[in-house]
Amino acid sequence: MTRPRRWVPIAAAVLALALAACGRSAGSAGSTAGNVSPTKGLTATTAAGTKPVASVVWAVYRDVNSLDPIFAFDYPENTADSLMCESLLRQSPSGALQPGLATVTHPSSTTAVYTLRPGVKFWDGHPVTPADVVYSLNRAADAKLGGFYPLVFQRVKSIAATGSNQVTITLKQPDYWLDGELASMPGIVIEKSVAQQQGKNYGTPAGKIMCSGPYMLKSWTPGVGVVAVRNPHYWNTAVRPQVQQITLKGVPDNNTLTSGLLTGAINGAYPGGLSTLNQLRASKAVRVTQGPGWSSDLFIVSNFKGVLGSVKVRQALSLAVNRQSIINSVYKGAALLPRWIANPGTFGYGGQVFAKAYDSSPVLTQNLAQAKKLVSQAGATGKTITIGMSSQLSDIAAVAGAYSSAAQAIGLKAKLHSVSAQNYINFFTDPKARAGVDGFLTINYGDYADPAALLSTIVLPGGSQNYDNYNDPKTTALLEQARGTADPGQRAALVAQAEQLAVKNLPWIPNVQPVSVLITSKNLTGAVASFAYMFAPWADSLGGTG
Amino acid sequence: MLGRFLARRLAMLLASLLVASFVIFAALYAAPGNPVAALSGGRSLPAASLAVLEQRYHLNDPFFVQYWYWLSGALHGNLGISITLRENVSTLIASRIWTTAGLVAYASVLIVIFGIGLGVLSGLRRGLVDTGTLLLTAISAAIPGFVAAIVLILVFAVDLGWFPALGNGTGFVGNLQHLTLPAVALAISSLAIVARVTRAAVRTESGREHVQTAVSRGIPARLLIRRHVLRNAAIPITTITGITIASLIALDAVIETAFSLNGLGAYLVQAAESKDLAVVQGISLVLVTAFVVVNLIVDLLYAVLDPRVTLGSRAQ
Repeated sequence: MTRPRRWVPIAAAVLALALAACGRSAGSAGSTAGNVSPTKGLTATTAAGTKPVASVVWAVYRDVNSLDPIFAFDYPENTADSLMCESLLRQSPSGALQPGLATVTHPSSTTAVYTLRPGVKFWDGHPVTPADVVYSLNRAADAKLGGFYPLVFQRVKSIAATGSNQVTITLKQPDYWLDGELASMPGIVIEKSVAQQQGKNYGTPAGKIMCSGPYMLKSWTPGVGVVAVRNPHYWNTAVRPQVQQITLKGVPDNNTLTSGLLTGAINGAYPGGLSTLNQLRASKAVRVTQGPGWSSDLFIVSNFKGVLGSVKVRQALSLAVNRQSIINSVYKGAALLPRWIANPGTFGYGGQVFAKAYDSSPVLTQNLAQAKKLVSQAGATGKTITIGMSSQLSDIAAVAGAYSSAAQAIGLKAKLHSVSAQNYINFFTDPKARAGVDGFLTINYGDYADPAALLSTIVLPGGSQNYDNYNDPKTTALLEQARGTADPGQRAALVAQAEQLAVKNLPWIPNVQPVSVLITSKNLTGAVASFAYMFAPWADSLGGTG
Repeated sequence: MLGRFLARRLAMLLASLLVASFVIFAALYAAPGNPVAALSGGRSLPAASLAVLEQRYHLNDPFFVQYWYWLSGALHGNLGISITLRENVSTLIASRIWTTAGLVAYASVLIVIFGIGLGVLSGLRRGLVDTGTLLLTAISAAIPGFVAAIVLILVFAVDLGWFPALGNGTGFVGNLQHLTLPAVALAISSLAIVARVTRAAVRTESGREHVQTAVSRGIPARLLIRRHVLRNAAIPITTITGITIASLIALDAVIETAFSLNGLGAYLVQAAESKDLAVVQGISLVLVTAFVVVNLIVDLLYAVLDPRVTLGSRAQ
């Protein structure tokens, strides 16, 4: 399951004009010119904190809307849920699947057995039981509740308690992608009795929640923040959080975030494309860490009947766009040049296989001469492509501008179809809004570290983001086979082949691969620095510097 | 007399609220996009989930039916439920209203003290004070709130560290400290306008014949200014101050966002973006009411300040 990042419409977006950028500190991993190595200069974890800290304010880009994991899809909700709640399996900072509340075995290709780890218990001291697990998963799978994850359970036939500490999932078809999902929001286990008693109020400001994580909910006042405190009875005694209280506060404005970080009013954040990143890098008050990202910045081809229906034109456009300028202007260096549609940060398994295949794929760089040739071969010279964008979203507008000049440089005409910031989301949801638009822009990520998580939604027939019935039988076959392959290495080889095909056929065009950015006060350390913070506890080792 | 006047104003308030609620509802309804899209962040939902959400929030009903749902609820004191937070709108508004009220009140106090004060001072004292005030107000009138916010944060929060950069703070002193920069940012351009109008009013009144006569008869300056100049200048000053303060209610959205304050204005923007209709309607009603009440107070003040004005008299 994948979704576009919500492009934040900020009322005072104009504010971004202030706070001039300064130099960047030496030793930061900011200098990414030509840096395409999956891991070079990136750290997935920061050194564990050693000193107790009373209270930390952590910024998210807007207020948290729900603490119910079935309604968590976007940065604020994921950050809050992953801080306090735990899923059946867990994604490590490097993306590898690890035991969470349970360990998993696969007795056959259509059965998965999850065994609860000894001593797992909720904040209230009640043990986590198979009944809680069955209830939580069925809840996530139930379309009638209006949650976002029923499609994840498409291949599930039944979920049943098969022992005092065991849950068995029986599948209609082999599905080795399910474990990844169960290490993410749909796999979060909540206490059945509390959820039933709360009913519709579960996870709302009026209701309460019951999870098992190292931090527990203390209070939630919309507009003020979600306050979590250390769980003194956390079942996993190997984990001893150093921070007593963490407040998640919605800070929609980049300049407010920047000044908050500089003055210490905010102690940490995982910001998206932040215009003031260079200023923060230069500051002595904060530390900027770059970790592996799992999201991709992409050009969505939403119309294969127009000019972009020709693969040559898509290739030409991909060759013509100036990706380095996007990395410099939009990401302030916190992104990599792409080789695939997937971000290399997503290589959570089959590491060697992926790394080898990835390194053998060419870096997507600019080549205008070849691009022009392709356009004329396709007979597309002088034709127009229409790009959906919003001039109110400065990052989107910058990338759209890069595509517009790329198109013009190779003999195409480009038309920018601009909508308001609030309506940008309609390109994703409303076929009428997409009518007449050849493509638009997104940052997209899957629920778990697997290149296939994103690709499958784009290229598979019926995929949630397959906007114009893209169908390449070869790619489809590779991905379907991968989904049913138990061995991680073999699965990785199949996915790698699919990625290599996709970057030739370009169902979508990769722009850049953002890295995950972590900013904390200088005296704080230990937060997860990779994109894993979206899906698994990220503050277990957070604490003061010694 | 006062009773009839207030009754009429109350009827006008209700009519304004009804019209405003309809116009806002219609505008938001007509704007493209739907709340479910905002809710799901553009990810595709299974048809069954979609149907559940649409039914829960009456999204497929015709416009007038939807409006009626809202209106009949509102008449029973139920402002509805926020789609994004799934909580009562009245609770959500109640938790934010004091931030906005505090901010607007603080800014109003600044405007009244410094705006009127500067205006009177420069109206009475020609020369350096007057020129200085003119220059200062010319500059500050041209500073939009969001620019003032940036500069104030940069100078007083980041560089000097005198005031916090964001948030509400706790306790009265904490609140005051946290609201100072926002209040200054909110007041700064309005303050200049009030100062300018006050100065002009004071100048005009000082030049009047009866004032000049009083001067020539040797009436003490203090008495003269209080009785003859300020009293007569009070009407235009009250008018401009009232309008300015009422406009602060609309302006504060930008300031609240910039300072990450937990107020109604920032919430209104946020709710409008996610098409959370019930919240937008609820906040709008509060803001419209506040606007009308401020104007009512101004009208009442006219009658107090100038006996020639009778309450509720129609314009001649």
